[in-house]
Amino acid sequence: MKRTTKIAVSAIAMAMPVALVLSGCSSDGGDNGGGAGGDNTLTVWTWDPAFNIYAMQEAEKVYQKDNPDFTLEIVETPWDDLQTKLTTLAQSQELDELPDILLMQNNAFQKNLINYPDAFTDITDSGIDFSQFPQAVTDYSTLDGSHYGVPFDAGTAIGAYRTDVLAEAGYTIDDFTDITWSEFQTKAEDVLAKTGKPLLSGQAGSSDMIMMMLQSAGASLFDAEGNPTIADNSVLEKAIEVYTKLVKSGVFVEVNSWDEYISTFVNGSVGGLINGVWIVGSIQTADDQAGNWAVTNLPKLDGVSGATNYSANGGSSWVVTSNADVDLATDFLAKTFAGSTELYDTILPKAGAVANWIPAGDSDVYGQALDFFGGQAIFADVVAFGAEVPSNNTGVYYYEGRDAVSAAITKIIGGADLKSSLEEAQATVEFAMG
Amino acid sequence: MTKTSTLRAAPGYAFLGIWTLFSLFPLYFMVVGSTNTSQDVLGSRLIPGGAFFENLAKLFKAQDVGSALFSSFFIAVGTTVLALIVCSIAGYGFEVYHSKGKDRVMAVILLAMMIPFAATMIPLFQVFAKLGLVNSLWAVIIPAISTPLLILLFRQSSRAFPSEILEAARMDGLNELSIFARIYVPTMRATFAAAGVITFMTAWNNFLWPRVILIKNEVQTMPMLISNLSAGYVTDYGVLMLAVLIASLPAMVVFLVLQRAFADGIVGAIK
Repeated sequence: MKRTTKIAVSAIAMAMPVALVLSGCSSDGGDNGGGAGGDNTLTVWTWDPAFNIYAMQEAEKVYQKDNPDFTLEIVETPWDDLQTKLTTLAQSQELDELPDILLMQNNAFQKNLINYPDAFTDITDSGIDFSQFPQAVTDYSTLDGSHYGVPFDAGTAIGAYRTDVLAEAGYTIDDFTDITWSEFQTKAEDVLAKTGKPLLSGQAGSSDMIMMMLQSAGASLFDAEGNPTIADNSVLEKAIEVYTKLVKSGVFVEVNSWDEYISTFVNGSVGGLINGVWIVGSIQTADDQAGNWAVTNLPKLDGVSGATNYSANGGSSWVVTSNADVDLATDFLAKTFAGSTELYDTILPKAGAVANWIPAGDSDVYGQALDFFGGQAIFADVVAFGAEVPSNNTGVYYYEGRDAVSAAITKIIGGADLKSSLEEAQATVEFAMG
Repeated sequence: MTKTSTLRAAPGYAFLGIWTLFSLFPLYFMVVGSTNTSQDVLGSRLIPGGAFFENLAKLFKAQDVGSALFSSFFIAVGTTVLALIVCSIAGYGFEVYHSKGKDRVMAVILLAMMIPFAATMIPLFQVFAKLGLVNSLWAVIIPAISTPLLILLFRQSSRAFPSEILEAARMDGLNELSIFARIYVPTMRATFAAAGVITFMTAWNNFLWPRVILIKNEVQTMPMLISNLSAGYVTDYGVLMLAVLIASLPAMVVFLVLQRAFADGIVGAIK
């Protein structure tokens, strides 16, 4: 009797969850993603309601004009979570859970493409004209000559400064245009002395600024074969030297988190910033600073061959997955993000989404003066900057390289030897590469 | 208390008082932040503002809070109820019944605590995809209903359960199921409360697994909603603070209601 009851207790414990599962509340698993086609619906994973989700919704409207039955199902998925999902689906080979289209950070593109080739569709011959995008941008999503992505927002880097702060120190935005980092250092120290405001800020332990400097000279942490070139990299050494000097002289304030970084310029505790053009959305949240901002290009590295005043940080591209209704997805992208001036004219003013699609730059909308930036037509300038940005060789281990360099920078600023810290970073990346 | 002993205790109270202020400050900032605009939050404004309703309207416009709250409640309550049933039976069984292999089985269960979730996520996803449970809230509940920690907690607490009661009940003719349901469960109320609080909070805050297995917008949970709010190029910090406040309230209420029983349960008291 006792034994029977024991078995009964265990059986109930085991059966209950199963029974509950069978009793329902399971939604339709298995039909999440793209599909074989025919239903005129595309599923998209992307993450910013004010930016790329909005752009997708507008693209849906544009495409619906010729295809009234077409619908998009947009699943809001922050980038970090999207990467986790993509990794899980690709590694578990459950690729039929992928959507038709997803948005990919440009810096992560090569890594995902090389690690999970089964997850994406080659769209080279899909009718999309890739020559209408800057090569530096399509390079992110190209592997062995095949195209896998349609570039969306530009990560073109800008220098944005408070004109009132500059004026207080006797400068104008022109004094910060087409300059070198050593000129910037001198002027920024002068601004700091006269106004008490540093010109730049950034997250401690982040290598964003170094990466922008590297790309501005067409340099990278890897060679063409993907081998790390962190040790004995003269451009990297120069960039770290410049960065260390900026921090030590107080013209670049290091903060602990992204939120603190945003608050440095929204609160007006710094007089400027250097970042991807997408940062203008955050700048404009500071209503009280309207009319006091201006945008220009970046300082360039002194004495480095190939150095320019142009770079990029961030940016993203649309990817057609291997689970997609490929014909519909590519036709949709070809007629919207790679073919509709109307789309870019709508999304630029509302979302600040600067196009990579070159024909969009000719539109009048790009030439409109913005009151927040003292009447400057910043987007026309940014499109012009974008055409000058050198290509960036990211490779599979881009993020590992960045992390190792970030750690090295922290040590170097703390007083460690530059050469040996970079050798250590090189060894770390080589170890990660196996 | 005499005057001297009060004086002697004063530094201790002062220390605890300051410590309390430090601990409560983030909560205060969250509440105040939810009434301020994004720019005010970034400016670390410490007094309540007038943007609460504006933040509320923006939050409900941007995100489906109702469905996220439902999903979170469904998962948290479902996990808690099932985990308490399964783990209490397991813990009770491990302690009360005798078998040669039980300690070895317990050791294996405890070993499972050492495996990080990231290592099991991919095979787990394969299993649930094969079962057709992607996008089902049950896919979040099922892996959480039997945890080594809860089994251990119930087993440890069951040690204090007097074997005399068990024998007396058996002599009175109660079967094993009735002994468990009518004697053990009421006696171990404090342990159930402690285990309930731990499970509810873990389930409520669970992020990584739901984010992977729940793909559609309609089944997202509160932590996923908060993650969405801070994912864009521009974050509205007032709205974010409000969402965090809404997400924190249920866990706070559960903890405050069961606080006393929780403390008793953790130290293994039997009433």
